[in-house]
Amino acid sequence: MPDRKPHIEVENLEIHYGDVPAVRGVSFSVQPGEQLTLLGPSGCGKTTTLRAIAGLEQPSAGEIRIGGAPVYSSAQRVNIPAEKRGLSMVFQSYAIWPHMTVFENVAYGLRVRRESREAIAEKVERALDMVQMRAFSGRGASQLSGGQQQRVALARAFVFQPSVLLFDEPLSNLDAKLRADMRIELRELQHRLGITSVYVTHDLEEALAMSDHIVVMRDGLIAQVGSPNEIYNRPRNAFVADFIGSANLIRGKHRADLDTDGLIALETPGGVVHGVAHGRPVGADITFSVRTVHLALSPQKPAGARNVWPVRIERSVFQGDFSQTIVLWGDQRLVIRGTMEPLAEGSEAFMTVEPRRVVLLEE
Amino acid sequence: MRFPKLSFSAPALAGALVAIVAGLLVLYPVAFLLQAALNVGDPEARPPTEYGLENFAGLLAYPQIILNTLTVSFAATVMALVIGFLMAWIITRTNVPGRRFFEQVIVVPYYLTPLLGALAWSLLGTPESGFLNQVYRALGGSEYLININSPYGIAWVMALFEGSVAFVMIGAVMKSMDPALEEASQVMGASRLRTMLRITLPLVLPGVLGAAVFVFAEMLGSFAVALVLGLPDRYYVVTTAIYQLVQQYPPKIPLAAAMGTSLFVVMFVALFIYRRIITAGSYVTITGKAFRPRVNDVGRLRYLLLAICVFYLLCAVVLPLLTLFYASIQQISTAFPKLSNFTTEHFYKAFTMNAATTALGNSLWLALWTATLGVTLMGLISWIVYRSKLPGASVIEYIVMFPQSVPRLIFAFGMMWAWLIFPIPIYGTLWLLLIAYLTVFLPLGVRTISGVMLQIDKSLEECAQMCGAGWGYRIRTVTVPLLWPGLIAAWLLLFVASIRELGASILLMGPHSKVITPAIVESWFASSTELTAAMALIQTLVVAIAVSILMAVTRRATTHITD
Repeated sequence: MPDRKPHIEVENLEIHYGDVPAVRGVSFSVQPGEQLTLLGPSGCGKTTTLRAIAGLEQPSAGEIRIGGAPVYSSAQRVNIPAEKRGLSMVFQSYAIWPHMTVFENVAYGLRVRRESREAIAEKVERALDMVQMRAFSGRGASQLSGGQQQRVALARAFVFQPSVLLFDEPLSNLDAKLRADMRIELRELQHRLGITSVYVTHDLEEALAMSDHIVVMRDGLIAQVGSPNEIYNRPRNAFVADFIGSANLIRGKHRADLDTDGLIALETPGGVVHGVAHGRPVGADITFSVRTVHLALSPQKPAGARNVWPVRIERSVFQGDFSQTIVLWGDQRLVIRGTMEPLAEGSEAFMTVEPRRVVLLEE
Repeated sequence: MRFPKLSFSAPALAGALVAIVAGLLVLYPVAFLLQAALNVGDPEARPPTEYGLENFAGLLAYPQIILNTLTVSFAATVMALVIGFLMAWIITRTNVPGRRFFEQVIVVPYYLTPLLGALAWSLLGTPESGFLNQVYRALGGSEYLININSPYGIAWVMALFEGSVAFVMIGAVMKSMDPALEEASQVMGASRLRTMLRITLPLVLPGVLGAAVFVFAEMLGSFAVALVLGLPDRYYVVTTAIYQLVQQYPPKIPLAAAMGTSLFVVMFVALFIYRRIITAGSYVTITGKAFRPRVNDVGRLRYLLLAICVFYLLCAVVLPLLTLFYASIQQISTAFPKLSNFTTEHFYKAFTMNAATTALGNSLWLALWTATLGVTLMGLISWIVYRSKLPGASVIEYIVMFPQSVPRLIFAFGMMWAWLIFPIPIYGTLWLLLIAYLTVFLPLGVRTISGVMLQIDKSLEECAQMCGAGWGYRIRTVTVPLLWPGLIAAWLLLFVASIRELGASILLMGPHSKVITPAIVESWFASSTELTAAMALIQTLVVAIAVSILMAVTRRATTHITD
């Protein structure tokens, strides 16, 4: 994508609830047409940040610009009310007005904008078509299922062509199967509309599947920003490594004398581990992260000399799509997930991992 | 650091306006009450020339009134709690026949008003002419069976009508208790008695204690019963004493003000304790969820319990209404009916007599305006307090809830004193009563509306905002339509409360602004009891019609919400 000015810029945003800081200096930007996801555990400040962009929450300091113009700035004393920011939002509770029909719900934003009756009818129809809800146009909102309400909320949010769409955990109230379907549908719709969007979720899969960029937040601060691939494969610290899927952390002393082929070596009680630094500074005491799915087990010793260690199988649990095994390695327990046949508990086996899957953490 | 909002938005402006109105309505009279209480100079001089605490010291010269107040309030609280607890336990926890029915009708005494009860029980139980005592003497008894004008008689009538309030409070606690807590105890092997003592009682206790403090505060401030039953024997409690001090000639305004201020400090402390008890004890039982309480099979005992329920409703509802009706259709009411004695002249008189019809007309006019203006004002206040996130919203909440802890009579006293010197001459007009009603009913209206408002998901409004709707448009298209059942309920409650209002009206009405409830009291003391009974029944009928509409509306609204 050619170099363009960012559509949304958030700079040093701080938000307090009374004396409690909810967001403590957060900066990021969103490119036009891009979907950015704020990801983190509950209470990390992601929803608060989103609501501040929307104008529903008043920050205590910082600046938010949309299309280059500040909508909030503590320095310039600007705070444009939510209804004048030209954004739109899909709420976690859907916020479908129970006293209106589906048509009236979707038409609301157009009526606010005083569009003609014909234009409203046409646009609402088109929007309902896009979410496959046209047949429900005359229904009352209370007669809709959760998934249907979700679709109506979506149509209502984009029908008046807002410059930005905000999503506050829109799928969290749906059951697992419907959520997976809606995830794909939402992503397609976002591509088709080409609207810049900011999406809040605590669901990792959702974030990975739907985003161009992810901002991982923790305790009101940004833990890492990057593409889904970067975040998953190159977590910066233990929090991201563990929150984004499950990871094993391996700590030990750096053995510079054993570094080879651009890999760095780490000595642990279980043996020497080789991993990649991705240009991050290498100290004396270092931590590697390796995802549970990237570790492999085999009863026989595999070929190759690097990153192969003997382990003892402590427990193996069949969990359907995969089985989870806990192994004793040196003085540490590691979790391994895979589709392999469970091994007998108490037996000896060999654990391997590709060195590129072993990632140095910054700390 | 926060920085002040620069642009003045519509909600901020509305908030400021409402804050000013509420502040003026509530704080202005209170300030004048305090000023009068501290005035130790010339009582006629305004503003006072000297300030001091002598008026409060002067209260000690009236130990009898304090003792009377405490006796009546304490006795009435104990009786009301016994009634409330017993009824709550019977109706929510036992398999008494007709529980559903009793649960519905048990709140009727609350709508009947203590005044009506006092009038009826006065007809039934005065030592000489009370119907019950007439019958008693006819059966060979000497002197009298009951004396309703005694302190315990007064307390009995107060307790009958406050009993349904205690029932609602204690019943709510019993209903919100998870039966699994008791079942867990029994599963662990505890006996029924042990479960009762170690689990049930500790869980219910904070609620009962809270109800006790609340009811006691209500009793301290109650006025109508003590006025109707206490005045004939010159038995004064603090509220009736204040009324007397203000009405007599020459009035003792500073002393009355000091008395009122002391009473309201005591009530304030009591309600503060009540709130502490409720918040401290609530973590165990109140999960915001209503459970289906475990029903105890009480065997044969249930017929005794049924008799208790029936007896209560008989004393609090059936007997008073029948008595008033019976009295109202006799020329001179007596316990023993004679055909020649029956007449409809009192009803005819009540509908034609100038005093009665103007009073009723004025009351209806006031009720319509109080309800209409009140719903608008209180709806705005509720929105600002619970939705706007404006700075100072909690201060506004505190101010508008303040009249709750001040007896209406005392509030009206401050108001009388305040508006007497107001440059616009509204003293003695219906406008003053309208202002008074809007002030004293602030807590009622705000609580009713905000109760519904808090059930409406905030994001419904936020979503309208995100669709680009400005404040006025949002309120009109989303908030008001969703709040509609709550607004109608509040309208009717305010209407009913205005029709029945006594404490504030009795002090503030002028010769040309009579309203119905004080007119009933006046008629009771000045003209015939039979006419008074007819007037009270007509008023009750108006209230009953409004209440049945209210119930129909709220029932429809709740089924709508749970759909």
